Amino acid sequence: MLGYIIRRLGSTVLVMGIVGVFVFLLLHLSPGDPAAIVAGDNATPDQIAQVRERLGLDDPLPVQFIRWSGGVLRGDLGISIFSNEPVAKLIGERLEPTISLSLTTIVFAVVIAVSFGVLAAWRAGTLIDRALMGFSVLGFSVPVFVVGYLLIYLVSINLGWLPVQGYAPIAEGIGPWLQRLILPTIALGLAYVALIARITRTSMLEVLSEDYIRTARAKGVATRPMLLKHALKNAGVPIVTVIGIGIALLIGGVVITETVFNIPGVGRLVVDAIAKRDYPIIQGVILLFSGVYVLVNLLIDLSYSFLDPRIRY
Amino acid sequence: MRTTRRTFVHGSMATAAATTALTNLSWRSAMAQASGGTIRAVMQGDLRAFDPIWTTANITAYHGAMIYDTLFALDADMKPQPQMVDTWTVSDDGLTYEFVLRDGLQFSDGTPVTSRDVVASIRRWAVRDGAGQHMMLRVKDIVAKDDKTFAIELNEPYGLVIDIMAKTSTPLLYIMREKEAMTDPMEQVTEYIGSGPFIFNREETRQGAQYVYDKNPNYVPRSEPASGMAGGKVVKVDRVIFENIDDSQTAMAALQAGEIDFMELPPIDLLSVLEADPNITIDVLNQTGNYGLMRLNFLYPPFDNVKARQAMLYLIDQEEFMQATFGDPRYYRKCPSNFACGTTMENDANTEWFKAAPDPERAKQLFEEAGYDGRPVVVLHATNIDFMNNAAQIVAQRLRDIGVNAELATSDWGGVVTRRAVQDPPEQGGWNIFITWAGAASANNPIALAAHAANGTKGWFGWPTDEKHEQLRDEWAAAQGLEAQQEIARQIQENAWNFVPHVWLGQWVSPVAYRTNLEGILKIPEIIPFWNIEKT
Repeated sequence: MLGYIIRRLGSTVLVMGIVGVFVFLLLHLSPGDPAAIVAGDNATPDQIAQVRERLGLDDPLPVQFIRWSGGVLRGDLGISIFSNEPVAKLIGERLEPTISLSLTTIVFAVVIAVSFGVLAAWRAGTLIDRALMGFSVLGFSVPVFVVGYLLIYLVSINLGWLPVQGYAPIAEGIGPWLQRLILPTIALGLAYVALIARITRTSMLEVLSEDYIRTARAKGVATRPMLLKHALKNAGVPIVTVIGIGIALLIGGVVITETVFNIPGVGRLVVDAIAKRDYPIIQGVILLFSGVYVLVNLLIDLSYSFLDPRIRY
Repeated sequence: MRTTRRTFVHGSMATAAATTALTNLSWRSAMAQASGGTIRAVMQGDLRAFDPIWTTANITAYHGAMIYDTLFALDADMKPQPQMVDTWTVSDDGLTYEFVLRDGLQFSDGTPVTSRDVVASIRRWAVRDGAGQHMMLRVKDIVAKDDKTFAIELNEPYGLVIDIMAKTSTPLLYIMREKEAMTDPMEQVTEYIGSGPFIFNREETRQGAQYVYDKNPNYVPRSEPASGMAGGKVVKVDRVIFENIDDSQTAMAALQAGEIDFMELPPIDLLSVLEADPNITIDVLNQTGNYGLMRLNFLYPPFDNVKARQAMLYLIDQEEFMQATFGDPRYYRKCPSNFACGTTMENDANTEWFKAAPDPERAKQLFEEAGYDGRPVVVLHATNIDFMNNAAQIVAQRLRDIGVNAELATSDWGGVVTRRAVQDPPEQGGWNIFITWAGAASANNPIALAAHAANGTKGWFGWPTDEKHEQLRDEWAAAQGLEAQQEIARQIQENAWNFVPHVWLGQWVSPVAYRTNLEGILKIPEIIPFWNIEKT
């Protein structure tokens, strides 16, 4: 197991290196000159040239890449072209809202989706099953921003129960923190609920038809332990796999959800940076997202052996 | 315990109800505490840069108006009035302007404002600002005579000294401490200490999320009533927060819910929703608004030929462009003046084309006279800004209608900003047409607005060249008095619509929306001041 982990971590470094090269090339070869944007609307070609030289954008690409990657290895992601602040600091300030939203969404989605999936499998073919699966299809089909606007209109404007937008740091208390996250969590989590609920149902249906479940029933095991202890644990591997895959879905959704609910997270930081060609920020955030995705997949792979002792690395 | 559908549903509902009750209670309480002397405003965009000299972004100019002060300022009638300056004199030969700063001026760090700060600030600003550059060509020296007195010495009489120092088009001449003003003009300052009515609270500012300004207790306002950017800047709230809400629908919902007090750019197509809300006022603060501008590349065919440029005057129907983006005729107008409409330099010289347009047949004939050979005409097309997106597509279609081979070069605005600076031929990464907009008030001044210059490849994108135009601009700059300037402005326009440096696409205003409990909002082009506003 230890050897496997070391090998996977080694390959993670390689993957991150490749991601770094792609990110750098993608941004520098795409149209858009940050010097022209920085210099402003009234800037003359001479002034733009001066800015380009100051930012080091005149240097050959390999030189720029070496300069950038050397900084990254030292933990220096560079300085934002516009705000003049270190990128690491800007990302650091935005991490809490994004982590909060991601965690509440995962918890919400897993709790609701697994419950729905188990219930649907348990009552397979009934009205409950069809209703829950119909809800799942709906959740997956409706875009995050539509759900977001509907929730804002119904819950915030019409009922006045929750704020429309914004984020309160957890340091201000659980109440304010949670109240700003409820609507975005629901909006972002619905698609995730749909994805996990459907795979949970399928996986549970397969397990529930196994002989050992029939034996457990025959021995008089109550429904709840039978479902949760005997069946769900053995249906866990595909569910955990889809949760991992869903992280990519979540990262994409976070960007939109943060915009709709005005949450100052990493997603909005990168959208703003793209609009302004603030290369250091874009590179830093994409590296971060890639690292998270690679790490989550590693953790998911490692969790298989805990869920199913037959899996060995 | 046995799990049933009923227990499952009941459990879920109880959890949801408890959570909602808990959070709802604390939310209402928090909003009640926050509403006191704080104005929460959603401005036109994110405040990405803090140095109002380094960038021309309007949002940074707003930031500048909060924390810095100006030597002169435009009043509600767009006339320059002294602001930091107490008295000033002009020598009989018109070559020396001497200024005395008023008493009590101090920066928010407690240090007094001196003439050394002023001199350094003028020098740095003049490197970045087009009008400043124009003035500096005539300046022999700027000297600090004592702590409160400074002088501008000229090589030749120049009638725009006060106007340029008072202008509201960006970058404004904000006065910084000498320490920051000595910064390379191509670099941003890193400390934001001004002598304006507010203090920038960096501790509570969250880049990209909110920008906090506290009332400056050391600010000494002028005694005159507030008028435009001039007069007494009396702050009547404790704090102003610029909230950065990217999504305009979310910002609108926040305004309706009372979470914010002011929204600079509510979406025009949803304005009726806000108009129906009795708690919200819709108002136009910038009466002259903005104008749309189509730049033609003078360096390459077909627009290196004046006939092809004149053809564009006849091809364009401003109504079509305005309708496509702004919809509601209450907020736009057609305008033929090269100095925008509603400005002091507005005139109707040489505008016969405007009465005839759109005249596609005439446009087609002029293209033929220009010898148009069917080569592609590259139209830069920014998709992420509504006006530019719509306008580029309309231009391309109207060109195709008369047989011109228009090609859209599609990207976001960042891509257009890069490509418009390319002076290579269109087929090698250059362009023929690009579309932008600017504040209409800035068009009033043929010196301050870069797009008014016709000085070739050293000038603004499109690089028009016309010696007579440049000569007339210099005459305008030297003219004494409004009437003399207006007469020269007519001549400039007469000549401009002959050689066609650009084509106008219409003029529009952007209404703002705010809660009815805000009173005393001042109306001035280009800047939104937050002094004089009371929150009841």
